[in-house]
Amino acid sequence: MTPRTCALLGAAALLMAACHPEAPRGSLVLTQVPAGVAPPPAATVMDVRYPPGSRVVLLSPPLRTDAAEVLSGGLAAAGDPCVSWDGRWVYFAGKAAESSEWQIYRVRAGGGSPERVTRMPGGAMDPAVAAHGELVFSSPVPKAGRQWTSPEPAALYGQWPGQAPRRLTFAPDGAADATALRDGRILFVSAAAHDGPRGRRHLCLFTINNDGTEIAAYAGQDDGVDAVRRPRELGDGRIAFLAARSDAPEARDWAECVRSAAPFATRANLFAFPSQGCRSVGPTPEGDLLACVDTRGMEGRSMAANAAVYRVAPGAAALGAPVFEDPRWDSIEATCVARRDEPSGHTSIVMPGATHGTILCLNVNDSCDPEQDGGSGRATQLRVTVLAGGAQPRVLGTVPVASDGSMLARLPSGVPLGFDALDAAGRVLRHQPPVVWLQPGEIRACVGCHEPRNHSPRNVRPQAVQAEPQRLDLPPEAATPRTPAP
Amino acid sequence: MTPRRIALRAAQVVIAAAAVALAGGFTARTHQRIMTGRPNLAVTTCTHCHLRSAFKLPWQKPRPHHDSPGGIAVSPDGRTLYIALDDKDEVAEADSATLAVIRMARVPGGPFGLALDAQGKRLFVACPQQDRVAVLDTRDLAEVASIGVGVRPTDVVYCQTRDGERLVVPNSGSDDISILTLSPLAELARVAAGREPYAAAVLDGGRRVAVANRMATHDQMLTAPASEVTVLDPASSRVLDRLALDSAHLAEGIAAVPGKGWVLNSMVRVRNLVPITQVKDGWVMASGLAISRADGQVTQVPLDEANAYFPDPSGIVASPDGRRAFVASGGSDVVTVVDLDRLGSWLAGSSAADRDDAILDMALSCRYVVARIPTGCDPRHLALSPDGRRLYVAERLDDSVLVVDTASLKPLGRIVLGDGGRDDPIRQGERVFTRARYTFQGGFSCRSCHPDGHVDGLSYDFDGSGVGDNLLANRSLCGVAGTEPFKWNGKNPTLQFQDGPRFARVLMRTDPIPDPQLDELATFLVNLPPTRTMPWSQVGKGLTPAQQSGRALFFATKRTDGTPIPRALRCQTCHRPPLYTNRLISSVGTQSPRDPKEGFDTPHLIGVGAVGPYLHDGRAKTLEEIWTVYQHDDLHGVSSYWSKEQLNDLVEFLKTL
Repeated sequence: MTPRTCALLGAAALLMAACHPEAPRGSLVLTQVPAGVAPPPAATVMDVRYPPGSRVVLLSPPLRTDAAEVLSGGLAAAGDPCVSWDGRWVYFAGKAAESSEWQIYRVRAGGGSPERVTRMPGGAMDPAVAAHGELVFSSPVPKAGRQWTSPEPAALYGQWPGQAPRRLTFAPDGAADATALRDGRILFVSAAAHDGPRGRRHLCLFTINNDGTEIAAYAGQDDGVDAVRRPRELGDGRIAFLAARSDAPEARDWAECVRSAAPFATRANLFAFPSQGCRSVGPTPEGDLLACVDTRGMEGRSMAANAAVYRVAPGAAALGAPVFEDPRWDSIEATCVARRDEPSGHTSIVMPGATHGTILCLNVNDSCDPEQDGGSGRATQLRVTVLAGGAQPRVLGTVPVASDGSMLARLPSGVPLGFDALDAAGRVLRHQPPVVWLQPGEIRACVGCHEPRNHSPRNVRPQAVQAEPQRLDLPPEAATPRTPAP
Repeated sequence: MTPRRIALRAAQVVIAAAAVALAGGFTARTHQRIMTGRPNLAVTTCTHCHLRSAFKLPWQKPRPHHDSPGGIAVSPDGRTLYIALDDKDEVAEADSATLAVIRMARVPGGPFGLALDAQGKRLFVACPQQDRVAVLDTRDLAEVASIGVGVRPTDVVYCQTRDGERLVVPNSGSDDISILTLSPLAELARVAAGREPYAAAVLDGGRRVAVANRMATHDQMLTAPASEVTVLDPASSRVLDRLALDSAHLAEGIAAVPGKGWVLNSMVRVRNLVPITQVKDGWVMASGLAISRADGQVTQVPLDEANAYFPDPSGIVASPDGRRAFVASGGSDVVTVVDLDRLGSWLAGSSAADRDDAILDMALSCRYVVARIPTGCDPRHLALSPDGRRLYVAERLDDSVLVVDTASLKPLGRIVLGDGGRDDPIRQGERVFTRARYTFQGGFSCRSCHPDGHVDGLSYDFDGSGVGDNLLANRSLCGVAGTEPFKWNGKNPTLQFQDGPRFARVLMRTDPIPDPQLDELATFLVNLPPTRTMPWSQVGKGLTPAQQSGRALFFATKRTDGTPIPRALRCQTCHRPPLYTNRLISSVGTQSPRDPKEGFDTPHLIGVGAVGPYLHDGRAKTLEEIWTVYQHDDLHGVSSYWSKEQLNDLVEFLKTL
């Protein structure tokens, strides 16, 4: 590259930077939907959330209604914004026209024209930014009213800038609402294990590494109401989320939280006051909470009032006055535009060419859930089931269990796997529906079947590792493509 | 000269040079083949045997010394602090009101552990580098007496017994405990301890002393290790009890809890027998607290949380009212505050099964950990003022002592001892070494397995090539300079390679250590000197007759009956001086069924007496077992002609290296 070219490129970069300055300190990114307008029949869950005319705006101090700068200009609808860790980019879901699919767009936080960054068949939603600028999103976008019962459940994908997306999750009921934790993991919402389409779906929080490995329950599996949404990590060691009595989007959600130090034992209301109608909640750089709340009918508010933005100090006894409201728009999601500490990265152990992963269970008889246990006998083999190529799990094969209860197997990657611990007579002692998966080349382990939450293993040498792991293969007719071509 | 003659002459020169090169090469290869006893010379070069000088290694060269605070002692009136500065051979005296250093005393021998007598008139200083305890008069900080103890004393406690004053000194290098009388200053007894006795605490007003042993030991490979708490009667020097802390290592902090009859140990709970498939949920290791009650029952509880770790717990103190304990976490730069009343309530209300499993429950600490106080880099030793109102935290790699108000848990100020060595790359590398930020959720640091660069004596199963395929004994980093390649399979040519992306993938489960920090880490590691295993009193002196006999065996070329020993099976061929390694892969008949290859890197033997267990997977508990239990067909050196006495002599010689 010649010096002249360098100079021209530098000048162009400076010009672009001047055209799109960084957002002023204290700016917010909002999702606004038209207020008081009855939404038309929706085709997808995103159309329900963000009816036509919905937009993403940048709001700079002093947060006046006439100062909102539209970031989703030219799009028919937009919403679900998230800000990159350096505070320079805003990612959001949008659709170019009424008939278009939802895809992920990004725009400079200081303003500009949005550019599309995903081309996923079936659309994409719920953007999040992980370590090193990796975009994480859900795809495809489920049809309205079928987010968790779709025959094509949404999965999480990761996409490095300029590269093809790679599939991260294989949860049978879908995965959505991803957010990156500071330790580098992806926190998302999915359904707890259940049996078949008629089983009760209980939405709760899970984590994976940013290469899709180590699927693990995070919170809400054993407590709380039926649904959680929009988890966000706060700066004080808590995870905030919205709770609801059903997975229907019309429900009036309220804000809850867990402490990351003991997420299965600390579920509580986020605020000291009732928060029904909460549409979003997230942290501010100053340690407050930024919440969008629909206050219609709330004491002290008129019925004409709509969803507005509130800033709530920790421990505040009341919601207080909104920091921003616009009678023409419902402000349903708010995020601070600010530089934050980037999450930790993760050196992937995935081997893209591999077809299997390895799973080690230290003791399949180690269980803390008598309700789910079929008996107190000792398991002698483990039946592996798989959910692939149909709605019902199919048996993949059985794996021997060592006398100390340990089991080691090499199993197909990229499909939901379930396990049944069987005694010598073939009776099912413990049952796990297909809900976990292995990434190619992944080696993962668990303490036991129905192991206690957040428990470390005992320091024992499992007998199963003394022998080669047994390998089970997926029948050819059950194999499915791991990542659909975008 | 015609062009033809020039061409002829040139051809002659080329042919002659080629002939010389071929002859030289043949001679060199023959020499290599003979001297190494290896038919395959693909990776053998001259430098495997030659051009290695121990005197040119980085750790032999002068390095900057820093005001790193070690042990802290507070005068009975709370007005004066004494701070051991082991790297400077000094003890600092500071004013607790002004937080200023008043004066310094020179105490050769790396002063580390400190204790005061009941009146605060005498300061006792454990000097691990010279195997002695010095007595200083606090009026002028002059050394008034000194006594030799075991190898590397790291702590000293004072107690008044029914039979008079006593000092109890854990000797970390000789695995024993010295009990000293003060009138006269003499060693009353030296009792056997666990592995690396490191710190001591006085119980019941001096009727008992408990000693924490930092390292774990195990009966056999693939059995759970345990570290010992040695309880003794300082008056009679009798050992009263040996409590086992199951799967605990790095248990280098100990404190007695007034009013509760408890002994608290900071510890790391390891899972070295479980394949390392993840870091989450304490799968590799987690920090904990061991509570030993008067009835001998020991309960371990976690100090970590479900999604965050506070590794390398070190110094621990309990408040005078017995209601709170403070634990320094060197890996995460915090002091953890434990509410002992809440912990006691949980203990009282829990079943025996709950207490057995308590250490496994990462979420349990929410019940009794009430605060985490941020500190400077690498907090280690702690001390409380006599009234319990002030906590002093030695910030070892910042050259300072943090002062904390124990009521508000807010910092009151710092005693600044030095500049922290910001310009010293070795010190910067030590910071990388001690920080856990490079591990997933801050799970552990380099120091967690290599305390002070040394070794934890455990074997781990990395899943790099498959679960169960890779059981490997940890290796000391002390004296590692010049011994490349690294790793037991000898695949890593540099320390940067060893600790780089591969390590992040199989162990740390996060981004690799950035290159600048990786270089600093390597700088620190190559400057770690070998561990001294000889008593200070014998350093620089000639070998004993037994050691000389052992040396002769090591360098023997013939058996006792005159039969020649094949060169490939002589000790010195593979363990060639000066580093006692030829840095090549050797097969010594130790391949186990799931080891992918039969050959392993030839370890250096500098400091070998302190790095057990031995062999690539740690199967040999002692040096003796290498030849008495795990020798096959004389593959690991011809030893079949040795008598028991000769083997003893050889081991004695090896311990001098």
